[in-house]
Amino acid sequence: MIFPDVSWAAIAPEIALVAGAVAILLVDVQWKPEPRVLGGIVALSVVAAAVLSVGQWFRLDTPSDITIPFGGMIAFDRVSVLARFVLLAVTAMGVAGGWRLFERLGRRAAEALALVLLATVGFSFMASSIHLVMIFLGLEVGSISLYVLAGITRERPDSDEAAMKYFLLGSFASAVFIYGVALLFAGTGRLALLGQRAFLDANIVTRPAVLLIGMALVIVGLGFKVSAAPFHTWAPDVYQGAPAGVVGFMAAGAKIGGFAALTRILFTGFPLMADEWASVVAIISALSMGIGVVLALVQDDVRRMLAYSGVAHAGFILTGVVAGAAAEPGIWFYLAAYTIQLVAGFAIVAAVTGSAAGRSGLDAFAGLAVRSPFLAAAFTVTLLGMAGIPLTSGFVAKFGVFVSAWQAGFSWLVIVAVLASVVAFGVYLRVIVVMYMREPGEAASPTPSTAARWMLVAATVSTILFGVLPQPLLDLARNAFSV
Amino acid sequence: MTDLLWLVIVLPLFGSVFLHFFGRRLGEPVAGWVATLAMAGSFVVAFGAALPFFRGTGENLQVVLWEWMPAVGATFELTWDPLAALMTLIVTGVGSLIHLYSIGYMSGDERFSRFFVYLNLFAASMLTLVLAGNYAMLFLGWELVGLCSYLLISFWFTKPSAAAAGKKAFVVNRIGDFGFMVGLMLIFTSFGTLSYAGIFERAPEVLDTGVATAIGLLLLVGAIGKSAQIPLYVWLPDAMEGPTPVSALIHAATMVTAGVYVVARSAPIYQLAPFAAGTVATIGALTALWAASIALAQNDIKKVLAYSTISQLGYMFLGVGAAAYVAGVFHLMTHAFFKALLFLGAGSVIHGMADEQDMRKMGGLARHMPITAITMGVATLAIAGIPPFSGFWSKDEILGVAFEAGGWFVVLWVVGVVTAMLTAFYMTRQFVMVFLGEPRWDEGVHPHESPRTMTVPLLVLALLAFGGGFVNTPWRTGLEHFLEPAFEGVAVAQPPKELSTFFLLGGVSVVAGVLGIVAAYLAYRRPAEAWRRFQESLGAPWRWWEQAYRVDDLYGALVVAPGKALAERAAFSFDLRIVDGAVNGVAWVVRRVGTALRPLQTGFVRNYGVVFVAGTVAVVAWLLVVGRGI
Repeated sequence: MIFPDVSWAAIAPEIALVAGAVAILLVDVQWKPEPRVLGGIVALSVVAAAVLSVGQWFRLDTPSDITIPFGGMIAFDRVSVLARFVLLAVTAMGVAGGWRLFERLGRRAAEALALVLLATVGFSFMASSIHLVMIFLGLEVGSISLYVLAGITRERPDSDEAAMKYFLLGSFASAVFIYGVALLFAGTGRLALLGQRAFLDANIVTRPAVLLIGMALVIVGLGFKVSAAPFHTWAPDVYQGAPAGVVGFMAAGAKIGGFAALTRILFTGFPLMADEWASVVAIISALSMGIGVVLALVQDDVRRMLAYSGVAHAGFILTGVVAGAAAEPGIWFYLAAYTIQLVAGFAIVAAVTGSAAGRSGLDAFAGLAVRSPFLAAAFTVTLLGMAGIPLTSGFVAKFGVFVSAWQAGFSWLVIVAVLASVVAFGVYLRVIVVMYMREPGEAASPTPSTAARWMLVAATVSTILFGVLPQPLLDLARNAFSV
Repeated sequence: MTDLLWLVIVLPLFGSVFLHFFGRRLGEPVAGWVATLAMAGSFVVAFGAALPFFRGTGENLQVVLWEWMPAVGATFELTWDPLAALMTLIVTGVGSLIHLYSIGYMSGDERFSRFFVYLNLFAASMLTLVLAGNYAMLFLGWELVGLCSYLLISFWFTKPSAAAAGKKAFVVNRIGDFGFMVGLMLIFTSFGTLSYAGIFERAPEVLDTGVATAIGLLLLVGAIGKSAQIPLYVWLPDAMEGPTPVSALIHAATMVTAGVYVVARSAPIYQLAPFAAGTVATIGALTALWAASIALAQNDIKKVLAYSTISQLGYMFLGVGAAAYVAGVFHLMTHAFFKALLFLGAGSVIHGMADEQDMRKMGGLARHMPITAITMGVATLAIAGIPPFSGFWSKDEILGVAFEAGGWFVVLWVVGVVTAMLTAFYMTRQFVMVFLGEPRWDEGVHPHESPRTMTVPLLVLALLAFGGGFVNTPWRTGLEHFLEPAFEGVAVAQPPKELSTFFLLGGVSVVAGVLGIVAAYLAYRRPAEAWRRFQESLGAPWRWWEQAYRVDDLYGALVVAPGKALAERAAFSFDLRIVDGAVNGVAWVVRRVGTALRPLQTGFVRNYGVVFVAGTVAVVAWLLVVGRGI
């Protein structure tokens, strides 16, 4: 009988998050407290997870220090910890930014908050697992939580629709992913990524069709999660229909989990087949940038605009993926910079057009500079960050992945990417113009919650700080990788 | 003073931020004075820092402010050499005058303080561009000036034409920016750094002609956009929708010269790419002639000046393209003086004529606005290239270099001389139509001279437009000497040294200029019916010029319409729900509940599923083909 090598240290942060989720549900049943108390529990468990992650970081001596406990299911290395840092930041900011929604949910706030924590656990496992089955488990835990969150307000039909649509297409994508996993298993006889790499190292695959199809399906499945074109079709509808208060977390969490798994699978499991997957990832990247930017340009709803811009950003990040493991620090810098902006963007949308509402027409932002200079300024910085203007974190992020892609020989992709960023500026400028150069209508001044205010200050400061002084964060990212 | 160099950028930046928060409370005119003082302070610091260069004891400096992205050689550093110093002095000096002028010009505008927020922000951005110590910072300034230009063109955004003009400037400039960004990418991947010092020192060993040409051409695409050259000049005439001080500062004196500055700054790269440099010169010469011919037939006082700016920028491109970096920058300087003066004068006229811009409704204003008339007269002579006014010296130096370079450049020289004649003609036409002859004003217009805050800048600029050329004459090459340290290791092309050649070439351009002036004077000093008949007698060419060769229509048909159709098509095929999502949402829920209502829009999930499957099949197929799986 074999006992798996248990290492509680490796999964301590996730345990803290699960404990938080369980505590919320129990406390809610027993005492029916105010949502604020539950928010406190969320904060506690996120902080606990963060502290434990910091501990993990220092326990791991070097970037190449990796152990794989639990029978090779979990990777205990700095990459996982780095991904979790970003994820925890996004979770905390997402809950703070959408706080009005959780207040409004009243009795059901407990469900929603527990689901947020569970989704975080799922995505965290996507980042820290090094075994295809475990990645799939993380993906499902995260995704199913998100399906429910998308429809959490229940009384609004378009929220229901968003949830249902997300669920149908999402399960389809999960099925595709797991089929891909099965074919990769068929091709290599292994499910652990390191095992697959060793197999490919030692053997020459003369008839790689099964392997290639498996890889294609895995890429497609994760491409759906990160909303890369042409697997993005769900994103605009879901972002538009789901309650504004959670969309930021949903979008950002799925991107982080998806890219963590994608990079782990491609870079750790199949670096030897880089010639094959790089070309197809490059095409998906170019498509995402093109479709995302062009369609973002014609939207009249800020959320759909942000959704399509998210498609474009998936494409931008994929330019780094194309470059292989050397680009990994750049990819994580990009993910950190962008997901924070994404969460901030939706927090502002929630504040302006209602945290439980669906749809956020551009008109609702007219004259925001007069009605709420704070929100207008925060949104401006956020949008400029997404546009990649120098002195924002977005510029450093874009520059990093583009250079990696160019050096990897994908100059055509970089040219497409530059073209897309040039056009994308117009997307974001349009919103800024509406905020500053349009007369405010009758609409009342939006009043974000205190939590949301602080969260926006943090997001804005980080966007500027990591644009002006990016080096510490870049070093941190670099210290997580052995490249 | 070089320790305080950062103040040059920070003062206007601080002014902008300060006015953003407190401007409305300060109100008129205090907000304007704050902005002007910030600008003037910046000028004083820059002047102090430039003193060593004037004495000939200055050294090129790199002032590192902080490490920005050390991994890519992008430090936040300022470069302080004569070229940067000269540009800084132009931007802050002319900028201060225009700020001062704006206090009078913008008085009564309800967004008075907001105007100065943008103006100061623009100055800070332009100074970042000019003082950048690497291409990353240059790019930062480049993007920011574009943004400010956009904000200021559409400053009166309630006017639809202003909003449209802003949008056009933005879109056209983005095309240029695309080339510029790819160029920067190529520079970085060739050198592994974006720092000027690292690039220019190693340029000869790192770059072969092909890559140097590619970089040169890509940077040129960016320069063409910013500096409004063929074929991307179309945004500048429309940009005149902005307030006139904006036209003077951004769209004449400073921002539009950024393209010239970039080419001059990248001289070590263009030196290795003769083809790219030749392209710069050719585009410049063609633009000069093209825009000058359009300027001949314009009736809007600011449109004449807009096309004239495009044309004069063409001269600068001709100069820097012919490796005459000193001459190009020299003309940039004199042009900043006389063109700012012309715009401010035009603004003074518009102000005095109650916002009338049509020159056909002016005439005889000299009596009512003497200071404006005299100062504009000086500027007209300067731009027409009549010695000893400043424009003569700089323009002739460019033409002299082109003539000396021989070969193809002689053709460009001829183009330049013809353009000089046209320039003299359209400028004299403007002066006569506005200031001389009988009044043709509308009812109820009472022209009057402008207030002191507006005339003082005019007088100062008139002085500079008159005497600014003496810094570099064939006898006293002060500017050339001054700029020498900035172009170390670059072969700067020289104008003819022999005085006989100089007099011959100078004579040709003076004759051309005088011919233009005399012809225009004879044609337009007559009553309006006479010159109307003269214009009609020119027939089709005149109509083409008047309609600016209908390039806007052409672009509309070739680019804008198909682009729109494509976007709509894309939107239609990929996103059926742009406009109204929730209606379909209701339908979808209703259908699921199973009621009898079945609207047309059903099955979106199915459609999405189809796209998904098609995508999956494509990815699988691609991988199988690439990986030779079949």
